[in-house]
Amino acid sequence: MKRQVEQAKARVKGNAAGRLIVVVWVAFAGQLVAQTDRVRERDPSWTAPAKDAEQSNPFTGRASIVTGGQKVYGQRCHTCHGSQGQGTTRAPSLVAADVQAQTDGALFWKISGGNTRAGMPSFSFLPGAQRWQLVLHLRRLATEVD
Amino acid sequence: MASFRQCVLCLPLMFCAAATVSAQERPYFVTYTHYLEEPGNLEVALANTTGVPKNDHAVYNAPWLELEYGLTGWWTAELYVETVTTTRDGSGFTGWRWENRFRPLRGEHRVNPVVYVEYESINEASRIQKEIVGSGGVAYEPIAELRDHPARELEAKLILSSAARAWNLSENLIVEKNLSADEGVEFGYSVGVSRPIGTLASGTTCHFCAENFVAGIEAYGGLGSTVSFDKDQQRHYVAPVLAWHVTDRSTLKASVGVGLTGSSDRCLVRMGWSYELSLRGGK
Repeated sequence: MKRQVEQAKARVKGNAAGRLIVVVWVAFAGQLVAQTDRVRERDPSWTAPAKDAEQSNPFTGRASIVTGGQKVYGQRCHTCHGSQGQGTTRAPSLVAADVQAQTDGALFWKISGGNTRAGMPSFSFLPGAQRWQLVLHLRRLATEVD
Repeated sequence: MASFRQCVLCLPLMFCAAATVSAQERPYFVTYTHYLEEPGNLEVALANTTGVPKNDHAVYNAPWLELEYGLTGWWTAELYVETVTTTRDGSGFTGWRWENRFRPLRGEHRVNPVVYVEYESINEASRIQKEIVGSGGVAYEPIAELRDHPARELEAKLILSSAARAWNLSENLIVEKNLSADEGVEFGYSVGVSRPIGTLASGTTCHFCAENFVAGIEAYGGLGSTVSFDKDQQRHYVAPVLAWHVTDRSTLKASVGVGLTGSSDRCLVRMGWSYELSLRGGK
């Protein structure tokens, strides 16, 4: 009997904890989703370390490789950055001059690590070759805009 | 109740309106990596654990539905609804789980930590074995009996994950407390390593290219509790995993976990399919 009462008390405690968690979660999540619906601004503090920025693209000049980059861009990037890299309310333009002025190594570093505070995911799960292919495609997008 | 029905009715409309995006589903079933859901993306997944127990106990299937949503770049929330069916001990709904993963650091590091917090409102019939903690085998009593024993649990994980070249190495440390019973605090672990089979993206759309497959292996199990650390009663498994990105949006994955201890089932066969959508498309 005593054990049953203890179990009943524990269940009530578990229920109360569950309700509290739900209320707090809904309050926080609602606030954050509302914030992320605004037009996203560029994060000026997000810069690649010098040694990463110095890396060169092993596929530079290999035109046959860039089509793979185009495919990966269509799979991973276009929803946020737009089909031509023009930028959307979710993510900034990739063909803008300040982005294109960055080195291949810097772009590779940004694609790899992401910036979770600004909503940019990390793509280090993609093989390095595919990330370099993406960089090639970003360069091509800029020439198409020109 | 009416608002719940409206939400359910709206789901197909949301799916139709959603932009489609590429899946980045982790290849593992138990081990978590540091990759969160992209902000505004919803992943719908269906999976099943088939358990083949020892000692002539009934084979069971434990299917579950998983809804994963990226709230921000550093916060992903997930809802699970799970059931179980056995060959001769009955079937039933076994509860729901609600998890949140937080990535505290901004960029990529040698080791990337993620904090995981989950509330579970399940019952003792639950057999999806999304993680294994504590000690003791699966309860093989009839499902109807086990469903009368609720288990409201709080679970926390420290997820440590690294990307090195094309490889992923992840380690999860698990702590769980059953709020409905005095079982102490239970511990568990899982580790996994995986790699895409192909590295260079081909220029054409292809379903069977090597770049669409990820292979790996994971190991998971319980590590006792604050009440008991009985090595012989712990369950440990090792499971090769294979994930196939069938299309840009969907992933199919499978694993066969082999029980390593006397308390483990003979094997756990897992299959899963996921589909990813963008609910907050950019304009």
